[in-house]
Amino acid sequence: MLYILKVDVADAWKCLVRQPLRSFLSSLGIAIGVAAIVAMLSISEGAKRRVVMTIDSLGMSTLRIEPLGTSAADGANSGKLTGITQDDLELVSTWLGGRGSAAGYVKQEGVEIGLKTRIQVATVVGITPLWQLAEDIYREAGRNLVQADFDNQENNCLMGNELAVRLGTRPPVQIRYGGRAATVVGLLHQKGRLLTEGTGLSALDFDNSLFCPVATVPYTRVVGGRELLDGMVVTLNIVKEQQILSLAGQVNQLLITNHRGVRDINLVVPVKLLRDAKEKQRIFSVIMVTIAGLSLIVGGIGIMNMMLANIAEQTREIGLRMVLGASRARIVGFYLLGAMVLTLSGSFFGVLSGIVLSYLIQFFVGWDVAISLPGLVVAPGTAILVGLLFGSHPAFTAASLQPAEALRQV
Amino acid sequence: MRRDSEFQSYRVVLIATDIHKTFDSGNSGKEVLDGVSLAVSPGDFVMITGTSGAGKSTLLHILCGLDQPTSGEVFFDGNPYSTLSAGESSRLRGECFGFVFQTPHLLMDRTVFENVTLPFCYGPKITKSEIGRRCMDILEYVGLGKDGGRYPATLSGGELQRVVFARALVREPRVIFADEPTGSLDRKNSLNMLDLLKKKSEQGCAVVMVTHDHSLKSYGTRFLSLDKR
Repeated sequence: MLYILKVDVADAWKCLVRQPLRSFLSSLGIAIGVAAIVAMLSISEGAKRRVVMTIDSLGMSTLRIEPLGTSAADGANSGKLTGITQDDLELVSTWLGGRGSAAGYVKQEGVEIGLKTRIQVATVVGITPLWQLAEDIYREAGRNLVQADFDNQENNCLMGNELAVRLGTRPPVQIRYGGRAATVVGLLHQKGRLLTEGTGLSALDFDNSLFCPVATVPYTRVVGGRELLDGMVVTLNIVKEQQILSLAGQVNQLLITNHRGVRDINLVVPVKLLRDAKEKQRIFSVIMVTIAGLSLIVGGIGIMNMMLANIAEQTREIGLRMVLGASRARIVGFYLLGAMVLTLSGSFFGVLSGIVLSYLIQFFVGWDVAISLPGLVVAPGTAILVGLLFGSHPAFTAASLQPAEALRQV
Repeated sequence: MRRDSEFQSYRVVLIATDIHKTFDSGNSGKEVLDGVSLAVSPGDFVMITGTSGAGKSTLLHILCGLDQPTSGEVFFDGNPYSTLSAGESSRLRGECFGFVFQTPHLLMDRTVFENVTLPFCYGPKITKSEIGRRCMDILEYVGLGKDGGRYPATLSGGELQRVVFARALVREPRVIFADEPTGSLDRKNSLNMLDLLKKKSEQGCAVVMVTHDHSLKSYGTRFLSLDKR
């Protein structure tokens, strides 16, 4: 069997190279189809990974709440806007009970933070006691902030990893920011930044921020006797998507009620973002792979066309092979192998071109791409199926020739 | 329907009994062969002669299993063709028969050597070195020992026909079917070709040859003349 395969592959190759341009063009059709599938799946995979990274940075069991700008709220209620307050935080915390933890923060970007000899610009974030728990971020060196730091309103703070590197310091160290002195008591682990693009949330780079008890930072705003927060983080002690979505809905309703019906908050549920993104991703993939698949089918038709032309030209040769002892099965196999040689060579160059195309798209368009390993198997696999499918008709046509008649063909 | 006794008694390899062949021609069929019977033994040089359209090539194709008779039966070694599967029929052609046609039917992009080895693609596996040895021997036999690397386009008509003859012989067939093998050759090359066929039949190989050239009759040992109907 292996001997037959070896002989017929070599023979099929010799037949194909008789018409090199024709074979090349047919193979090119398959290569384009495969390249399109590989590139589409790579774009899809890149987008998927981007979404996963975003969700990962936001936290899967987390709800993030920030006030909407006045323009985002409806005009009739704009006068009643209250934003997020300490009252809201207390209300949510009480309502959650043991189901999770809620923390609030205020932040100020572009603050000069200085040692005696060095100054760096960073974000100062005023945090409430459970913030570290809610964000799941802890010390790498020194200590975490404890309840006493909040109760006594001591100017103790935690520093992000990169900020510490930029300042060339490690805790404990005295710093100055916003015209006041503070003591850095802990250095935080690297956590990166919140990937908030497309969510409506404000950005936060954990590694380049300074975190202080909210009562000690000079950035809190008081409206109508109530302290405003820039945002709230709620971490839930549950992982099931449905439960998270249900609780998110209840928290949203709780806050709207507390704001007397004004929808002035942006509640982002990462798990819902993930679900929406997955659905969009699925639709995108289906559309793209369908388009790419169509080009593969066009490639298959090209192969069929070329093989039919070859068979028309090789009628006497087919007759001769049959006279010399080739069975119909061998003739079918011979032409299917020819189709396979074309599709495999097309697939090989298609995969390479698809990878190059993906990176070109990333370079010129700026989309995230990630080479999809299943795509590297699926695309050539589909091409081979297409080759078999479209090669079958010519192969069986060739095998159905009557040897004596085939030999008489001019 | 085995005819063992007949095959054993007379050492007959091929027998055709009461062969009829009718081709569809409009509303009525055109009968080309009408009850032809023939037996071929090893060493026979059977010449089938007749005018154009008498059914010589049709009979040859039926005898070698490339075509089916409308009625009648052909036996090889006592086995009727009608009971052979398509695969068995192909194997029979590949292993027991050799073919020489009026037109060489060579693969023009292959060398003489590759053309002669072509039948081994469809036969029992033998080693590459054995294939090479047999091909060189047979090319030597037909006088093309030094031409294995040449392409058909560089050969004369006589040389092309000798390549075809070499291809027909390389698997040591028991019957050679030749359909007007000298039709496209000049007198000298025709006689050379017939000498080769004659030599082979004298070595025990049966030869069934179709020709319309009655002057070649002296090469045959048995004759079958067909008339146009």
